[in-house]
Amino acid sequence: MQILINGMRVYFKLKTILIYLLFLALPFSCKKQDDSYIVNTELILPANAFKTKQKTDQQYVAILHANLFQQALSANELYDVAQCVESIGDKEVAREVIISNFMNKSGVIMPSDSMMRADIDGFIYETYKRFLVREPTEAETTYFKNYINSDPNVTPELVYFAFALSNEYLFY
Amino acid sequence: MAINRRNFIKKSGTLAAGALIAPYILPSGRLFAQTGSQIAEHVVYVLFAGGVRQQESVLQRYLDDSQGLGSNYAGNIMPNTFDGAAPTQKIVYGTGAGGPTPIPTILSQSLQQQGTLFKEMRSPTASHYNGLNALLQGSTANTQGLKSKPMYPTIFEYLRKHGGFPATKIWFVGNGIGNSVPLLNYSEYNGYGSKYGANFFAPSITFGDKGFDHLSNAKIYHPEDQLSPIYQMKYFLDNSFKNLGNALPLLNNTDEEKQDIKAFMDEMMNKTSAGTIDFPPVGDNGDLHTIGYACEVMRWFKPALTVVNMNNVDGCHSNFTGYLRNLHRADHALGHIWSCIQSIPEMAGNTVLIATPECGRNLQHNNIMDTENQWYAYDHSDQNSRRVFSLMAGAGVPSNLQIGSETNPIGLTTDGVPTIAEILGGNALKNDVLNSGFLAPGTQSLFDRI
Repeated sequence: MQILINGMRVYFKLKTILIYLLFLALPFSCKKQDDSYIVNTELILPANAFKTKQKTDQQYVAILHANLFQQALSANELYDVAQCVESIGDKEVAREVIISNFMNKSGVIMPSDSMMRADIDGFIYETYKRFLVREPTEAETTYFKNYINSDPNVTPELVYFAFALSNEYLFY
Repeated sequence: MAINRRNFIKKSGTLAAGALIAPYILPSGRLFAQTGSQIAEHVVYVLFAGGVRQQESVLQRYLDDSQGLGSNYAGNIMPNTFDGAAPTQKIVYGTGAGGPTPIPTILSQSLQQQGTLFKEMRSPTASHYNGLNALLQGSTANTQGLKSKPMYPTIFEYLRKHGGFPATKIWFVGNGIGNSVPLLNYSEYNGYGSKYGANFFAPSITFGDKGFDHLSNAKIYHPEDQLSPIYQMKYFLDNSFKNLGNALPLLNNTDEEKQDIKAFMDEMMNKTSAGTIDFPPVGDNGDLHTIGYACEVMRWFKPALTVVNMNNVDGCHSNFTGYLRNLHRADHALGHIWSCIQSIPEMAGNTVLIATPECGRNLQHNNIMDTENQWYAYDHSDQNSRRVFSLMAGAGVPSNLQIGSETNPIGLTTDGVPTIAEILGGNALKNDVLNSGFLAPGTQSLFDRI
């Protein structure tokens, strides 16, 4: 009888401890699932941002000539023109003068004004591909389309000049 | 929220004043460029000739200290620069076959008489590029090699950054594009650099045969109908370009300044074709051509600082007779440029000319003899190569004054930088330069050595 009573006491004690433990565990048991999602931080850059190497004077002149005339400049001429660029402190001025000298030569391959205006989208696409080696974005196409349409003085030559003078054209 | 009328007026006033003043605040934080205490409005700084021996220049020894011919050949072969009688024997430095006829002196009064001669200075180096760096940086740059920009800011950058001078008022006319000369127009020092650099031409290329072939046939575009759209489209393209590479080294000439430079180039092509460049009376070497175009730069832009580099004297490595001729012509060039300064109304009486060689030449000759006179040539690598002179003349410079002697050297070639700062910007600009921490120890303004 005594053994039975002692056994019951132990049983009740264990049961009480178990109930306490369950109560203690309650706050940690059921937790509502977090439905929020995290997106990793990503820097979104335009396609041209990966052009990080600046062309040398010789590279610039060689590529410019090839873009305008669709023909390579001779090694001697390339050397001389690059020296001319080197001899002028303000490289922007030097490039402007070189481009305008090229534009004054015969053999620059570019569409006529009427051809450009007949297919402005195509002209913009080809100009980006030719000079910047990439496709234009929608925003860029829209800008140039509006710009060319709004100004009758804008010719393919002026557009080519602007591209050849642009900062992006100095990088590859 | 109720508007406090007094506060509103106060804030609006402050904002308006700020908007008006902001464009005039210099990068140094100073409100206006220092002009009040300047000594002169223009400086012409001649980097003289390419390694000049004291013996044949300021010491006027001609052949006495070089070829072992005895002591009967002393004399002054630089009559525009120094006082002194010309040699009387073995005249080879002039014109004509064998050079027997000295070039007629341009100036009626030598620059020595008109200014202050530092008879015995020290160059901190015996080499060209470091010597040119010392003249332009005010410090030696021993770690530099060729194809490197100056390590520390140049006088061009000090003037533009701290003095507020526009780009087209600061010019460097180089003798050519070799030996990294075109790289000297600005340093790569953080906070200075290209945006404060000097405009540069190497006339032997820009307006020489190569320039004529590739630069002289520029198409003329209408400023409003054609150039304006070009620039507008370029600005759009530039704004669309995310440059993650190196920043472009731009001199920050304004659009107007760029047009002015292009107009100048066009004018030079025309004048060169027409044979009307302001060359010295004798123009038979490269330095004399360089000086002619430097005169044209001064005439067109009226720069605050014009730096001209000459180097033909460096032929002394292998041809002593040629060296003497080129030294005589460097003097001719100096006389011509001084004469040219006096012919420009804005610069006459308002300009200081400083001429300093970047280094001297050896005491002992090498083993190379020239074919014409069998005279030994001279390199530059010993202590004698650190001996140079400097001459300063013009507005505010004491005349007919000589400082230092063979036994008492006074001055360093690095002194040119704070001297120019003082001339163009007074004590404030000089102290900006001296306190920059970049100058060689002991460097000071030449005016403080007088």
